[in-house]
Amino acid sequence: MGKVIRGLSSSAYIGIIIIVAIVVGIAAYYAGSMSAPKTVSTTTITQTTTITQTKTITKTVAATPTTTTTTTQTTTPTKTTSPSPTPTVTVPPNAPKKLAVVYDIGGRGDLSFNDMAYLGASKASKDFGLELVEVQSKTEADYLPNLRSLARSGHYTLIVAVGFLMTDAVKQVADEYPNQLFAIIDGYIPDKPNVLSVLFKEHEGSALVGALAGMVAHHYNCSAVGVVLGMEIPVLYKFEAGYYWGIRYGEQVYKQHTGENIKPLNILWTYTGAFNDPAKGKTATEAQLAQGACIVYNVAGATGLGIFEAVEEAAKAKGRDMGPPFAIGVDSDQDWIKPGFILASMEKRVDVGVYKAVERALLYYAGKIKKFGGVMELGLKEGGVAISKIQDLETFLTIAEQAGKKINKTQIIEKIKKMRSEIPQWIWQEVDKLADTLKTNPDVEVMGLKFSQIEKMIPLDANEIKQIRQQLGVPTG
Amino acid sequence: MPGSRFWIVLKEELGRLAEILIAVLVGFVIAGILMWLGGYDPIAAYIAMFEFSFSDPYYLATTLSFAAPIMLTAITFAVGVRAGLFNIGAEGQLYMGALGAVIVASWALPGPLYLPLAIIVGSLMGAVWGLAAGLLKVYREVNEVVSTIMLNWIAFWVVEYARVYIYPNPIDASKTISMPPAGRLPILIKGTELSASLIVSLVFVGIAFYLLWYMVLGYEIRATGLNPSAARYGGINPKKAMLWAFIIGGIASGLAGVCEIAGRPPSYAITTGLSNLMGLGFDGITVSLLGANHPFGIIPAAIFIGALYSGARGMQIVTGVPLEMVKAVQGIIIIALAVPGIIRLIRSKIRRGGVKVV
Repeated sequence: MGKVIRGLSSSAYIGIIIIVAIVVGIAAYYAGSMSAPKTVSTTTITQTTTITQTKTITKTVAATPTTTTTTTQTTTPTKTTSPSPTPTVTVPPNAPKKLAVVYDIGGRGDLSFNDMAYLGASKASKDFGLELVEVQSKTEADYLPNLRSLARSGHYTLIVAVGFLMTDAVKQVADEYPNQLFAIIDGYIPDKPNVLSVLFKEHEGSALVGALAGMVAHHYNCSAVGVVLGMEIPVLYKFEAGYYWGIRYGEQVYKQHTGENIKPLNILWTYTGAFNDPAKGKTATEAQLAQGACIVYNVAGATGLGIFEAVEEAAKAKGRDMGPPFAIGVDSDQDWIKPGFILASMEKRVDVGVYKAVERALLYYAGKIKKFGGVMELGLKEGGVAISKIQDLETFLTIAEQAGKKINKTQIIEKIKKMRSEIPQWIWQEVDKLADTLKTNPDVEVMGLKFSQIEKMIPLDANEIKQIRQQLGVPTG
Repeated sequence: MPGSRFWIVLKEELGRLAEILIAVLVGFVIAGILMWLGGYDPIAAYIAMFEFSFSDPYYLATTLSFAAPIMLTAITFAVGVRAGLFNIGAEGQLYMGALGAVIVASWALPGPLYLPLAIIVGSLMGAVWGLAAGLLKVYREVNEVVSTIMLNWIAFWVVEYARVYIYPNPIDASKTISMPPAGRLPILIKGTELSASLIVSLVFVGIAFYLLWYMVLGYEIRATGLNPSAARYGGINPKKAMLWAFIIGGIASGLAGVCEIAGRPPSYAITTGLSNLMGLGFDGITVSLLGANHPFGIIPAAIFIGALYSGARGMQIVTGVPLEMVKAVQGIIIIALAVPGIIRLIRSKIRRGGVKVV
C-alpha cells in the first residue's frame, strides 16, 4: 500500500479527490432529483400532455373550418402601431412561444449583418409577441451544440441561424429534429421541409448602385469606376455582374439624357482575398483611384473600411470635404460612416429576411401554408435589397448609437443631404426608375445582355462571370 | 512508518484541495458580482450553467467533447513543467496537427488508412513544431516562453495560408477540405458531438502518466525539472530530457489538432480564421495548472473547464447573459483557479534560482 502511494506522485491524490468530488456531486444531483421525484416528474408529464393535447386540438380545428384563426387575424392589425410591415399573423396556439437567433463567430456589434439580423428578430418578437432568445457562438465548435440545445427543448417557433458559416450545422440538426423549424440567412439548403433558406438578390441592388456610379462618374468627367471585393466566392459574382450591368445601363441613360457623346468608362475590379483586412482594401482602392476611378464599390465587409479611408484621403488631398471620389457602401446603410464620401449603399436587408422567416413560420403553424421549407429569395420587390435613402439613416444611426458609437446625428444627416443635392436630381430619379423597371420587367437590355439573362445564370461560376465581364466590356482578368 | 507518511501526504493534499475549492468559490463570487452589476441574476445563471453542462446525457456529452482536446494540450504544458519548462506552444502545435490531418485528408487513400495516417502525420507535425522551440532552448538558450509564443503565430499564419491557398474546400471557401467519412472518429453517443476523440485523449493521458512515472525517460524528465544540475550530476543528460519533453508535448497537441479535425462534427475541417481551433492550446495551460500538472489531475480539470464552456450556452439561453459577459465570467473563474498554481510555480522557480546562485 505504502509503496503504491509513494509511486503515485503526491499531487496524484488531488486528481483522485477531485474526481471523487465531481462524481459525488453529480450523484448527489441525480439522487436529489430522484428522491424528490414527484414535483419534477409531474411537471414534465404535464408539459408533455399539454403538448399532445394541443396537437389533438389542432387536428380537430383543421377538420372544422378555420374560422377561429381568421377572427383573430382581423383584430390584430389595429393593435400594432409599428411603421412599415404591419403583422398579418399572430402566434397560433399550437406554436411554441419563443424565437431563437444564433449568430456565427462574427457576432453582434458589427453595425451591419448581425446587428441587422437582431433588428429583424427583435421587431418580429415585439410584433408577434414571441420571447426572443439570442445565442452567440464563441468558436465554430459551438454551432452544433447551440442549435441542438435550442432544438431539443422544443420551445422555439423558429431557430434563425445567421450566416452561411452555419450551413453544415443547420443541415445536420434539421435532420435530427424534423419537427423544429429553422431558417438560415445566406446559406443554401433547398431540400429540407423544415429549413427555410433566406437568400438575397444582391445583383439587383448592385445594378442600382452601378447605374448611379455610371451616371455620376460621367457627371464628374471621370474615366473609370471600380469595385473592391473580398474573397473570390460565387456570392460575390452576383455583386460583380449586377454592378457592371448597372454601370453600362447608367451610361446609356446618361447619353440619352444629356445627348453628349461619351467615352465608355473603364471598369476596374480587385479581389483582395479578405473580408477583414482594411489595409488591403485601402491599397487596392488607392491603386484604382490612381487609374482614374472616382467611384469605388465596397463588396468586402470590413476590408471596405479601408476603401472609405482611401477615398476620404484622396478627396481631402484635393482640398475637398466631400467626394468625388466617392465610395459605395454595402449590406447596411454605410453612408454615415464617412459622411460626404459615400455616395450611397447597397442595402441587404437581413432584418427583412429574418422578419419574413418568422412570419412564414407562424403562417405554417396556423396551417395557412402547407410547406415551410425551401428557398426564399428577397430582391427589390420584396424589400430584401435596396439603395440607401436619406430616411434610412435614422434607423442605422440608432443601431450605431446602441453599439456605443458617439455620433452627431443631425450633423451627419445634413452633410449627406448636402452631398446628395450636389448630384443632379435627375440621376437619382433615373436610379429609382431602374428599381421600378427591374421589379416588373427584368428583360431590359444593355450591350446585348438582358438583366434576366444574368439572373438565369445564377449561381454564377468563374467561367460565367468571365463571360459577363467580356460582354460588358470589363477586363476579364 | 508508511502509515504516518500517508497521513502527512493526505494532509498536504487536502490542503491543496481546500485551496482549489476556495479559488473556485472566490471566482464564482467575483464573477457573480460582475453579473449582478450587469443586471443579470447570478444564481439563475449558475444554475443554468450547471444544467447545461451536467444535467442530462446530451449536455454531459457536450461537456466531455469540449474536455477532450484540452486534456491533450494540458499534457503539453504539464510535461513541460515537469521538465522545468514553461512551454506555452500547445496552441501552435495544435494548429500544425490539424494541418497534418487536413493534408492527409487531401490524399486519395483507401478508407481505413486515413485515420492512422492523420494521427501519425498530425502528431509528427506537432512534434516538429515543439522540437523547434526545444532546439532553440537547448542549443541557443532562447527562452521557451518567447520562442513558443512566436512559433504559435508562425503556425497560425502558415495554417491560415494553407487553408486559403492550398487546401480550400472547392464548395465552400470558408474552410479546408473535410476529412472523408472513412477517416472520422466515430461519434460515441448518437445526436451529440462526443466522438472517440475522448478515448484518444484519455489513452494518451494514461500513456503520459506511465511515461512520466514508470519509465526511465520520465524519471529523467522529472529529475531535470526538479534540479537540472543535480540531474546532470546523477548522470542524466538534461538537454536530452528537455528535448523529449518538447517532443512529447508536441505529439500531445498535434494529436489534439488531429482529433478536432477527425472528431468534431459537422465540418471536420479547419474553418476560417482557424475559428474551431483558436484557444484550445491556451485552455490547456489553465487545465494543467488547475490539475496540478499531473495527468490524473488534468482529467477532472479538463472536465471542469469543458463544463464551463458548455454551461456558457445555458447562461445565454436561459438568463440572456450575453456572450461577452459569459466570457468575462469564465475568465474570472479561470484566473481565480490559476492563481494558486501560478504562485506555486513561481515560488519553485525562485527557490531553484536561489540554489543556482549559491
